[in-house]
Amino acid sequence: MKFAYYPGCVAQESGRELDLSTRWVARALGIELVEFPKFSCCGSGFVDEANEVLNVAINARNLAIAEAAGLDILTICSTCQGMLSLARLRMSDPAVRAKVDGALTPIGITYRGTSNVTHLLRVLVEQVGLDAIRAKVRRPLSGLKVGAFYGCHLLRPADELKWESPEEPHAFEDLLAALGAEPVLYRGRVMCCGFPIQFVKPETAGRIAGRQILDAKEHGADAMATPCPLCHISLDAYQAPAEKLLDRPLSMPVFHLPQLVALAFGARPDELGLERHLVSTGPAVAKIAPAAP
Amino acid sequence: MPGAAITVPVDVYRHQPGVDSAPRFQHYSVEVAPHTPVLSVLLKLRAETDPTLSLRYSCRSAICGSCAMRINSKSRLACETPVGPEVERHGRVVVEPMANQPVVRDLVVDQGPFWRRYDQIEPHLKVDPKHPMPQGRPNPMTPAQVERFHDTPRCIACAACYSACPAVAADPEFPGPMALAKLYRFVVDPRDAATQDRLVRIQTEGLWLCLRCHLCTEACPKDVRPSERIRDLKELAIAAQGVTERGSRHAVAFKENLLDRGTLSEAKLARQTFGLAGMVGQLPHSLAILRKKPEVARKPPAIEGKEELERIYAALDKESGP
Repeated sequence: MKFAYYPGCVAQESGRELDLSTRWVARALGIELVEFPKFSCCGSGFVDEANEVLNVAINARNLAIAEAAGLDILTICSTCQGMLSLARLRMSDPAVRAKVDGALTPIGITYRGTSNVTHLLRVLVEQVGLDAIRAKVRRPLSGLKVGAFYGCHLLRPADELKWESPEEPHAFEDLLAALGAEPVLYRGRVMCCGFPIQFVKPETAGRIAGRQILDAKEHGADAMATPCPLCHISLDAYQAPAEKLLDRPLSMPVFHLPQLVALAFGARPDELGLERHLVSTGPAVAKIAPAAP
Repeated sequence: MPGAAITVPVDVYRHQPGVDSAPRFQHYSVEVAPHTPVLSVLLKLRAETDPTLSLRYSCRSAICGSCAMRINSKSRLACETPVGPEVERHGRVVVEPMANQPVVRDLVVDQGPFWRRYDQIEPHLKVDPKHPMPQGRPNPMTPAQVERFHDTPRCIACAACYSACPAVAADPEFPGPMALAKLYRFVVDPRDAATQDRLVRIQTEGLWLCLRCHLCTEACPKDVRPSERIRDLKELAIAAQGVTERGSRHAVAFKENLLDRGTLSEAKLARQTFGLAGMVGQLPHSLAILRKKPEVARKPPAIEGKEELERIYAALDKESGP
């Protein structure tokens, strides 16, 4: 299995523990991640707000880079997944296509639409398969109740992304169960983390993040896990302000998806950048990995 | 046999504010065919079991928009949500009133807040008095002009989007998906003379609080796609007025930031959006983040082929173009 690896901006900077743990899991499963230093940022939904066609063109360029290498793109961020997927879709509109081609052709870039865009969660569940995942588990996450948190752009708009049910998905929970964890079902798992307005109105963003964390907590979650580093920023890095806004104690450890996979596969916590989280994952890790005698 | 009756456990939210001390869920069990709509189940319960069950409905055909409620947490029209798939997925059907609106009784909510937001966008044509409509008939529009409405005229004002929206839930300043989709419809109407005013006003009246989570688009029974029209409004608002609000400043700063190195510089973006003074309030927590994630402050290396991005921007972005 070989992919054009699209880590996205955050996983290369403030969320690099996500990149670290993705590489760990890819090594363990024999997934080859091919790097392309030419990949640019996906625009994160913000460039789309400012200029839709420009946003499509930026991502058509990214897609063309993978196409030239004959590879599908692997993302590890719900927003990157959404932006790249939507660019593919918008390029099927002849009017958009004409404008974008008008900008790409003069600089020698040809977009063909031959590379698919997929996310690590999908690859693990659909291409690696849950049986193969189960076979790799060395340290089952038994006893750990985990609330999956999907991230909007992995699921919606569902008629365009064409994957799981936008309000009742189960791939992430299936994966958690295969790792031995107990998935916790709660409505907040398909809600928004608040990140898109973290810079617009932090107190509203914080209340939104806090509600989802509280929802997971009230449904008995020991920890949350997300396939999106932007959700991780909202849920982990900005959990302290959210706690203050809600005036409720949260103390919710939030894992990146591949961190939990790697832990179940036997990785040591210090290989996964867990110390970089704002909320300690210690209590959750202690539940699954009692100190060896 | 596909139509064979199944047992449907139903949990219905019951509450009469001012009379009941607290809301409760009342459990019922009914035998119906799997394709039976939730609304029909509720009406059957009311007719045969409990005449006090309160709900709002009218046409039973997904036209009037009266019977929106939360069905297993999803904001939907009860008349077009069959019980079968709900029982398959959840083992039961939990029915609650719409969210983000005060409960009057049981499944009936006070839609006052929803309609007030609708009124505030002034949902009617404002025709330029200097160019009145020709007597007896409205100005005709070309098919291309009508196409710009997308599906916004299909809205039946059921408020399912308003119920599903996390921004409405968290911030009373946000007008909600329906009001904004309606606003879009008037903004792109070639007969409307107040387009510029509408766009200027909405920037300060909550436009930028949309999370683009697309939950409204999933809830909408008529495929109005409010989240996508709100995106359109944002781009139109920037074009009409430039960067005046923190939201538009952030979107444009992000666009410029991307051109700078091809990848995102998190610290620079915060500075561009909040301004140095605005960042001071965030300082204590920002320092906590910085201690764990020192890369936040550094300039990321530029991507290869940045000149390609520059050419793309020059071709497609007026502000950064020639």
